[in-house]
Amino acid sequence: MRDSRGSLHIQGVEKNFALPQGDLRVLAGIDLEVAAGEFIVLVGKSGCGKSTLLRLIGGLETPSRGEIRLGDKGIEGPGLERGMVFQEPRLFPWMTAWENIAFGLRAGTEAKEGEATVGKYLSLVGLSGFEGAYPHQISGGMQQRAALARALVSRPEVLLLDEPFGALDALTRIQMQLEILRIWKESKGTVILVTHDIDEAVFLGDRIAVMSDRPGTFRDILPVKLPRPRDRSSAPFVKIRRKIYNEFFHSTRKEG
Amino acid sequence: MPSPGTNGKSPLFYRLVLPLLVPALILVVWQVLSDKGFFRTSILPSPLVIAQTLQSLLASGELLGHLRTSLVRVFEGFAVGAILGTVLGTLMGLSRFWDRALSLVTGLLRPIPTIAWIPVLILWMGIDEGSKVTVIAVGSFWPVFMNVLQGVKGTDPKYLEVARVLEKNRWVVLSQVILPSALPSLFTGLRVGLGIAWASVVGAELIAASSGIGYMIMYAREVSQPDVMLVGVVTIGLTGLLMDFLVVQLEKRLFRWNQAAGEGSK
Repeated sequence: MRDSRGSLHIQGVEKNFALPQGDLRVLAGIDLEVAAGEFIVLVGKSGCGKSTLLRLIGGLETPSRGEIRLGDKGIEGPGLERGMVFQEPRLFPWMTAWENIAFGLRAGTEAKEGEATVGKYLSLVGLSGFEGAYPHQISGGMQQRAALARALVSRPEVLLLDEPFGALDALTRIQMQLEILRIWKESKGTVILVTHDIDEAVFLGDRIAVMSDRPGTFRDILPVKLPRPRDRSSAPFVKIRRKIYNEFFHSTRKEG
Repeated sequence: MPSPGTNGKSPLFYRLVLPLLVPALILVVWQVLSDKGFFRTSILPSPLVIAQTLQSLLASGELLGHLRTSLVRVFEGFAVGAILGTVLGTLMGLSRFWDRALSLVTGLLRPIPTIAWIPVLILWMGIDEGSKVTVIAVGSFWPVFMNVLQGVKGTDPKYLEVARVLEKNRWVVLSQVILPSALPSLFTGLRVGLGIAWASVVGAELIAASSGIGYMIMYAREVSQPDVMLVGVVTIGLTGLLMDFLVVQLEKRLFRWNQAAGEGSK
């Protein structure tokens, strides 16, 4: 077991955004220990700070308070050991699928090795035959696969997914969920996925962090101890889904 | 004669026949009116007379000689203007320091029409080729500069974020992200700049030229040869059209990825 590689330690993280009318507290009191190889899902309403938390882990933002460590190293800025996929594919329109994926290679990768790696991940995400296509020539789902491959070619320890299937249609979305599971099993890396889809969260996560908003905190962290592949209509699955559903809608009823 | 009833909506009709139809019609009307004596020939010769003059100027090699001189000036001036515009536009687009430092200077110089520089340039550089080429360079500099500046500044921050996450160094970010994303703007600038460069050749040849299309037009006016004047004017128009066509073709070849423009870059 690789204990420290890919394990995340988030302690007392707080994030404030400076606004003209004063500081806005987006995240408060965030503590989370993620084991290497774990699949964590952050669920919450839009604006609850879940994407901000992901960007903090990604190093695109810095916490106002608290600490985030990967293994035993503190996070200072973005790094290739934390691959990131955004809600939009963000492929460069002037590069082919192949060139876009190869852009994710570590600087100084040997040409031959790089080519083999890109080829491997191209087929892993099911894009073989489309390496020469420009982004506008392929579907949104395929664009997101290419973005995924781009994040994977440098073999990150942690994969950060910011609602990557949010813009896809329901059927493509389900297929992408299956593929992300397959890729996760194959790569054995840690995955942190942000979503507002409860069904998606229960289907994918080892643990689900349910977030409340303003400021964003963890309301609950639920383990999902169901064997994969999970049956979305099975009784235990539905039970967990209902539990998360109630976290959002019962408590708001009580508050309001 | 294609009557409206034939309804020939083939692509060929729209691409070639229709655009040629209107100028052809203008020429016919112009010729008929000239024949009936509506225009004084000392002011506006008929199309046929102009065509004859064109033929003789072509045969003697005079027209092509002037054209070559003007083209060389335009390309020299355009090259200087375009390179300076690209470099300065990129510099100011990338660096907040240089943008701030130079914004007032460029803002002040930009509204000055190119023609206003001619007397100044004569004073500074004399009446040699240098001042003519400089006039053209100044004219083509601005559109290239403005478009490159806008293109570089307009790089989608989301793309820059991708490059940051992937730990790319400044050089990779510039050469593979910022410049490619600014390339369509650069091309717009080059296209407009080349057009302005060519259009300002006549102004440049006001400076004591002894050859060139502009000179030819000016001289023809002095010796009262309206047909030669008009041959010159038409030559400028046709050459400009051809240059624009070539740039557009080049653009199409270079930007295969941009053909779904308007779809938005996600």
